[in-house]
Amino acid sequence: MFATVGKDLVLRFRLGPILVALNPATLGAALGISLLLVGLVLWLRRGIPQDPQAPPSRRLVLLMAFLDLLENQVLGGTDARLRRSLLPFMATLFLYILACNLSSLLPIPGMVAPTQDLNVTLGLALLVYLLTHVYGVRTKGVFRHAKGYLEPIPVMLPLNLVGDMGRTLSHGFRLFGNMLGGAIMVAVAIPVLVDLLLRFFGPLVGTLAIPIVGTGASLLLNAFFGVFAGIVQALVFTLLAAAYIQVATE
Amino acid sequence: MGPELVQGLKYLAAGICMGIGAIGPALGEGRIGASALEAMARQPEMANTLFRNMIIADAIAETTGIYSLLVAIMILFVV
Repeated sequence: MFATVGKDLVLRFRLGPILVALNPATLGAALGISLLLVGLVLWLRRGIPQDPQAPPSRRLVLLMAFLDLLENQVLGGTDARLRRSLLPFMATLFLYILACNLSSLLPIPGMVAPTQDLNVTLGLALLVYLLTHVYGVRTKGVFRHAKGYLEPIPVMLPLNLVGDMGRTLSHGFRLFGNMLGGAIMVAVAIPVLVDLLLRFFGPLVGTLAIPIVGTGASLLLNAFFGVFAGIVQALVFTLLAAAYIQVATE
Repeated sequence: MGPELVQGLKYLAAGICMGIGAIGPALGEGRIGASALEAMARQPEMANTLFRNMIIADAIAETTGIYSLLVAIMILFVV
């Protein structure tokens, strides 16, 4: 039942003194989605007219609408100067997580959404954590950025460090847990439903009802846990990343 | 302890973990939803913005529930 969660496919090998464990399904899906997104963006870019005076093409309008939405909704709370420099990273992050979350809907055997792997989500959270330091140092300088950890009193230093760690961990775990939980719900609910149908309505009526009820249930579950939760979690991850970077620059 | 007892205790622990862990997020999301509905009834023209913010607040409030889900999964499959 949990084969789709992707724990059976882990590949372990030794690279010198380090034991490496990686999941080829996740790796392949993540790389494939990256390539797909690069292709999509190149295709969108080719649609932009060379002449700035020309009437906007469809792809240009699509790009403008997407970036405008992101700039106003996701980065709405950030500083105006920070917003422009953060926009490309946030657009990439949002598109990548969204594509990863929605990829679990693809009818490919053995397909695992890369965000159902803790390594991917924690990696993204660590990337955002690194960026908070980059932006903090860039706007405030090394000394004032490091001094932020000694506030309000120097005794708070360990608490501030633990707070940073907990924030980054919860950032990664939130996306991972939501996606994995949704996948487990979809995987568990349908066999349970089939079992209940057979038990309550008898073999004959139950077997006849399975295709109808199963299709409906799987559509509903995938619509909620796949599409809706996927979009919301991509939005939440990007929004929190913007908020963390904004806090680091203050 | 026999292996059956250990297995049974694992199921019990996972159930208790998930059940108690779901109380907090449920209360939080209930409050968020109630407040959002109240505000929407007062200012229907703000409903779109409020709905979006409600969804985001819900997603953040359920973090602790996600933690208990992870712990329950770990109890069942990892430990």
